This record gives sequence, C-alpha cells and structure tokens, in this order.
Amino acid sequence: MAANSLASSAQLASSASQLDGVPHHLETSLVFAGSALAQAAGVLLRLPQEIIAQAIVIFARVWVGSEGASLKEHSAKHVSAACLYLAAKLSAHSRLPRAVLNVYAFLDALPPTSLFDDAAALDDPGPKAYYLTEGDYHARRSLMMKLEAIVLRILGFNTHVALPYTLCINYLQAVEAFAQPQGSAVAKRAFAHLNSSLMNPQRLYLTHQPHSLATAAIYLAAREVGLKLPGDEWWEVFDTDREELGFLVVAMISMGGFVEQEKRRWEKSRPPLTVDQLDRELERLGAMDDGE
Amino acid sequence: MAHGPSSSPASAGLNRKFHGCSSIKDYDVMDKLGEGTFGEVYKAKSRKTGATVALKKILMHNEKDGFPITALREIKLLKMLSHVNVLKLEEMAVERNKAAPGEGRKRAVLYMVTPYMDHDLSGLLDNHEVRMTVPQIKCYMLQLLEGLRYLHDSSILHRDMKAANLLINNRGILQIADFGLARHYDEPVPRKGKGGGEAHRDYTSLVVTRWYRPPELLLQLRRYTTAIDMWGAGCVFGEMFKRKPILTGNSDLNQIQIIFDLVGAPTEESMPGWRDLPGCDGVREFAPRRGSLAHVFNDQGREAVSLLYDLLRLDWRKRINAIDALEHPYFKTPPFPARPEDLPRFHDSHELDRRRGNKAAPPPAPAGGTVGMGPNGEWTGAGPPQSSGIWMNGPDRSGRGFQDRGPPGMSRVPGAGPSYDRGPPLPPGHRRAPWGGDGHRHGHGGPPPPESVRHPLPHAPHPPYGGGYGGDRDRGGRVTMGAKDTYVPRYSDGGRGREDRRSRERSLDRRSRSRDRQDWRGHPFQDDRAGGRRGSIQSDRSGNGRNGSHDERSERGGRSQEERDFYRDRRDHRYVDRDRRHTRSRSPDRERDYNSRRDRERELYRR
Repeated sequence: MAANSLASSAQLASSASQLDGVPHHLETSLVFAGSALAQAAGVLLRLPQEIIAQAIVIFARVWVGSEGASLKEHSAKHVSAACLYLAAKLSAHSRLPRAVLNVYAFLDALPPTSLFDDAAALDDPGPKAYYLTEGDYHARRSLMMKLEAIVLRILGFNTHVALPYTLCINYLQAVEAFAQPQGSAVAKRAFAHLNSSLMNPQRLYLTHQPHSLATAAIYLAAREVGLKLPGDEWWEVFDTDREELGFLVVAMISMGGFVEQEKRRWEKSRPPLTVDQLDRELERLGAMDDGE
Repeated sequence: MAHGPSSSPASAGLNRKFHGCSSIKDYDVMDKLGEGTFGEVYKAKSRKTGATVALKKILMHNEKDGFPITALREIKLLKMLSHVNVLKLEEMAVERNKAAPGEGRKRAVLYMVTPYMDHDLSGLLDNHEVRMTVPQIKCYMLQLLEGLRYLHDSSILHRDMKAANLLINNRGILQIADFGLARHYDEPVPRKGKGGGEAHRDYTSLVVTRWYRPPELLLQLRRYTTAIDMWGAGCVFGEMFKRKPILTGNSDLNQIQIIFDLVGAPTEESMPGWRDLPGCDGVREFAPRRGSLAHVFNDQGREAVSLLYDLLRLDWRKRINAIDALEHPYFKTPPFPARPEDLPRFHDSHELDRRRGNKAAPPPAPAGGTVGMGPNGEWTGAGPPQSSGIWMNGPDRSGRGFQDRGPPGMSRVPGAGPSYDRGPPLPPGHRRAPWGGDGHRHGHGGPPPPESVRHPLPHAPHPPYGGGYGGDRDRGGRVTMGAKDTYVPRYSDGGRGREDRRSRERSLDRRSRSRDRQDWRGHPFQDDRAGGRRGSIQSDRSGNGRNGSHDERSERGGRSQEERDFYRDRRDHRYVDRDRRHTRSRSPDRERDYNSRRDRERELYRR
C-alpha cells in the first residue's frame, strides 16, 4: 500500500491540546521537539530510518484533531517513546522496552541543545546522569505500555504508514537522474528534505501522499544541486500538480527557518515535554500576558 | 494549517471519540460461541447498527511487552484488506474493567469485532442434516478462489488454509478467516496462466495445518509461493465431496506418504527439483506409485477430477493459481454453480449449545491424556503436558481439543479460531489440557472417537513470528515425545523469526493496490490521487466523494448539531476567555478523569 491515511481538515483545524488551552505555537514546538527526540533516539537505537520515520508519522497523528491526545494529558516525551517502541515492534527490528527507555533517559541527561544537534556526537554526561533505577524502569515501562495502548486506540489500530523514500528513488530513476554526475547528490539531498519534512510544522506527512512528497523533494533537491530535469511539467507524470508541488516546496524550504527559530526559543530551557513542565510553562506564559 | 470549511466528512470527525475503536458498551453480548486456551469468542449485537457480530477477545499474555505483536500484525493485515470473501475486521472494541481487589490498576480488554458468520465449512460438512449439492460446492469453491485470488493479488500468503478457517453465513457467503499465520508475500503476484511462479527468498516452512500442508512444505522447501494456499484449497475441495478431510496424516512423514498415495510419488517430471529439497524427517526416497486420485473421486465427474489434479499438483510452479482456477471448465459445465443467495439456510449451532444439550456425548479424549492434568484439564505443573500419540500435537494452540472440527459453526466464528492462539503461551498455572478447552468438555479419558466422528486435526505449527518468538526456533523447539510431530514451544523471548519478518514492513509499503481504505480514525480513505492535492483542504473534498460511509458513521456517532456548535464555540474562544482556558471541553468525563490521571502520571515522573 503506497498511500497514507490523511488528516481531515477538521482534524487539522483543532487539536485536543488547543482545546485544553495549549497555544498553537507551543503545541507546534512540542510536537517538533517530540519528533526530534524520536529521531535522535531512533539513531541511538540503531533503527533504520524508515522505522524512525514511521514512528514520527504515528507520533504526529496522535496529536491531531479534537479526538487526538492532548499535551496536557499525555507527556510528549513519553508518547514519543511509545511511538518509537510501537513502530519498532511492528517491524523486523523490534527493540526491548528497556533499550528504548534507557535511550530516552540518556537523551534527557543531555543539554537542551541536543535536540538540534547530533545527539551521539555530544559529550557523554556520564552514566550517573542517565541511570535508570529498577523502580524508575518499571514505572516508565508500564507508562509506555499504557501510552502504546492509547496511541493504538487513537489511531483506531491503523498502524500503516507509507513512506516516500522508495518512490523517491524510483522517480529519480524514471527521470534518469542517475545518468548525470550529480545524480546521487540529488538523491541524498532529496532524502534529507524528506527526513526533515517529517518534523515540518505544516505536518506534510499528514496532509500529502508519499508520491507528492517524493516529487517535491526531488524538485527542490535538483534545484539546489543544479541537476537538469526533463522538460516542463515532469511532476505531472508523478501525479503531482503544480499547485501542490509549489505548496510542498515552499513548506520544505521554510523548514530551515523554523528550526532556527525553535533553536533560539529553547536555547536556555528545555521544551516542556512532560505534562508537569507544560503546566509550569503555561503558568509562566499566563503571567507574562498579565504583566503586559 | 488549513481551516477548511467543515463539510460532512469533516464534522464526522467530531462524532465519536475514537473511530475504528469503540467501547464494549456498544455491544450487547449474547452468547459465548467458543472458548479455547488462547481466546474466547462471543456473539454480540451492536447497539448502534443492530448487526450481529462476533467478538474475539485479545488476551494480554505478556504485559511487559505491551500489545501482543501477533494481534497487531493480524489487525494491520486485516485493515488493509477489503473483499467480500475475506472476513472483515469491523473495528476494535475496548472493555474497561474495574480493578479487581489487590490487582492494582485496572486493565482494558480488547476485542476484535467481525461480522457474525453462522458456520464454518468444516462444521457444515460435519452436520449430517446438511446436504452438499454440486452447485453448492461449486458456489463455495468459486468464492474461496475469489478470496484467494484477492489475497494473492494483494501479496498476502494466508498460510493456514483449511475448512475450519472458511466461514459461511446463511446468505451463502463464504469468507476466509484467521490471518494469524498470514504474512506479506515479497514476490511477484501470480499471473494468469503462470501457476504459482517462483519465490526468491526464504520463508519459514512451519506453517499450515498438517492435513492441508502441501508436499513442498513437507519436504521443507523454504522458497514457497502462493501455491501453498492453492494446495489447501484443493484439500478443501476434496473434503467437500468426502465430507471429511481427505489427507489425514498422523505425522509429517505419514502425511507425505498418503499424499503420494493419492497423487503419485514425485518424479523429476511431476515435481522437478524435489530431490534437492531437504526431505521429510530425513526421508528422501519414496516408493514409486501411481496416484489413486482419479479412482477415489471417480464419482465426481471428469471436470472435478481435473480441477483436483490441477490444485493438488506436486509441482508447485505448475500448480494452478486462483486466477486460472476460476476459469476452470468445472465451473462452466452443468450443473452450474448456485448463486450464494439461492443456497439453503442451515441452523447454526455452536459448540457450546451442543454441549449444553447433550452432556453425555462420548468424550473421546486420548488415553493417558489426563496425566499431569488437574481435574479440569489444567496443567498441574507436574512436568510438561504429556503427548498422546496422534491425538495431540503439542500444546494445542486453539484449545479446541482433540477434535478440531466441531459441530456446525462451532467456535470458528468469524475471526474466531486460532489467530491469537499464537500468542505467547500462558504461564503453566493457567495452561489447559492441550486437547481440551475446558474440563467438562472432554477432559476425561475415554476411548478414541468412533469412526463416524471426525479425526482430530493436527495443528499448524507455531508461527514463525508468533508470540512464542519462533522462527529460528523452528527446529530447535521441536522435541519428539512419542508422536513424531510434537512441538514444545520455547518460552523464551530469544531468537525471533528475523528472516521471516524482515522487510515485511517495507514490502507492505510497496504495495500499491487500490482498495477501500480508511484513514486512521476509520474514515473512508481517499483513494484517488487527484483528490489528494492542495494541502489539507482537499482531504475534505475527496471525502465528499465517499459520502455513503461518512454519513453512516455520523448517524451512528450521534452527537447533535448543538453539541458540535458548542465545541466549535469553545475553539473560537480559546484565546479570548482566559478563565475557561483550562476547562475540559471535549467530553464531560474527561474532566473528571483528568486530575486523577495527571496526578498519577506526575507521580511516575517523580520517581
């Protein structure tokens, strides 16, 4: 199955978190941070990118719509762990709950900037900083299992996620990109765009089918690398019209600015990825509003 | 993010809490249909639609790994399938139980909801009141082949084809059920006139219930194809004439011998390459003989015998595929196939009903079967459960006991059956007798069943990727205990079926068949790509094209327009009305739960 279930406009128009009083910008920030966490943890768990990508898409789906999960109710960090665990379990690369929880504890011990850097390349904070006691482990594991069940219920047990990576290569072959010297550079660049689009605040994977994502990534990558693509309107061949292509390319380009902005925002403090932290952050924001 | 106009499919999103996942309270549970070691099946009525359904309980065996992976896989497969001859997974239902005293937090029990089917084929064949006419057999056979054609075309190997997994309702519809052993097929799908084709990768050979297991599997071919399901279809076909399974081997070796008795011993011509296969239990020589098939099925006519030959062909590359079988002259010569709606209706009777009415039924449990078992058939923990010759085949996955085929409709209710039987085994204390669902059924020893009673069915091997985490365990876990084919599952988590699961994920993604899809909340899924454009608004638009199911859902969901307006109001005010900011607005019960839940979670984080 090469297609995905997409979010309906009603689901995109509101979310449980917003109904619970979490401002939209904060929600965007937290979903981004939770996705980045899953990506970092997935790399540390040596999971293939396709599984990490599936986990991030599932994670993004969970928060969408008034019937989705609310950040005020479920901690983004723990839901992120549950999604990664679930995606791995469904694949041929399942990971033990302990491995997943250890990696999340490790990421917790890293400085806040770790979300935006390669977590593996940072200084090791030392085992004491991320040691999980047996009690902690059991508590977190049962929380993870509970969240797994909640995620499944929110998704209506539909765990299928179609990804654009294979299509992307197929399309590049179809336009004979690899016959040109820049071919593999374009492929790498296109994959990079597909990867970062996973965390795009416009939720591209929830609103667009893989074939369109692949087409847009190729278009953008070819522009950047300077690869010549066949004559006009080649994207039509891949079932993507100009309007959608334009929208996706703009969204993909905007990703860099978005990450910079997030980086500045969470330079000093950690994004409030648990319900507790979020409550405090909301109080702080409320106090700032009152002060004005 | 687009704030598209809220048209009908959009508002459907607000109607129910979780689409594709409802509460058990939406169902009136009526009867218990079947019961086994690994699951219970209930007949129930939907309060919303009035439809009769079957609820299959998913037992959480191993809480520490979360939701059972076998169940997740079956659900994932079923969600992608939509065909009139494949049992449909309607939704999942959740039952929330109060915590039992001393048990800590409460547990949710999950049910798979499938349409209620009145019979299974094996039960129907057992029912002496049911006469099978040739048009009826042709009708069932056509439906079976249609279902298989669809599955194979969707790159799914069923891997547990047998009469008991074919469900039939009183409208004459046959559906293939039980995808607990099914997996994605990584090879090119069968094409017209090309037989089963060839596979290029290894799969686990420990699949398919023995009596329906094709010769190439018995000879341990790992690169098998969709042809394995076709063999099973052939066995079912013959079974409909004989009203009992046609190849009832009591061990793998015996099984292959009687196969060769029926269709002839393999030669380089009839089964090219068979000498290169590992062989069956180390035996690689078989006395040359001619098959007796034409003689055995002499009464059924030339065309039937011809189709049987095609389905039971030793050479898996040449065995007829479903596409071609549907075109077989058998279906085009009189008497013509009946239409499903013209078939007679039969009384559905379930195993439990029969037991209630007739408690004195002879309990043909195997001799010596109770060794190590408690009075109710549970394992007392005094050593491993005993094997008892041909009657059992290791711990019974299905718990359906010595007699796997029951009275009509028994336990093989929709979605019933051994799908989740493959979950990790219960701890010893909870084990039931391998041949008995529960004690009073056939827990006590007794003579073997009389001739008239159907044979016990050997069981499909444990799944390659199942809860027992076999796969690599295949041979290791196999211990000979009297009977040749006794499996003792290993209870460790080690050695998952890696090779079998590899690329399952990836390959599922590759499939690009169009069929009814749903979004992950259960909305009909937009299929046409043209509709999938222009950002988020269009999901709305293309949803309109599929109004039918949306409307149905919104009617069922039943939240009034006022309510919906209320919610919309809430959203509009969310930044304006500070005081109400923290108000729970989606449903009243959420508010109640909220504080306690938050406290609980907070506690967890602090630790």
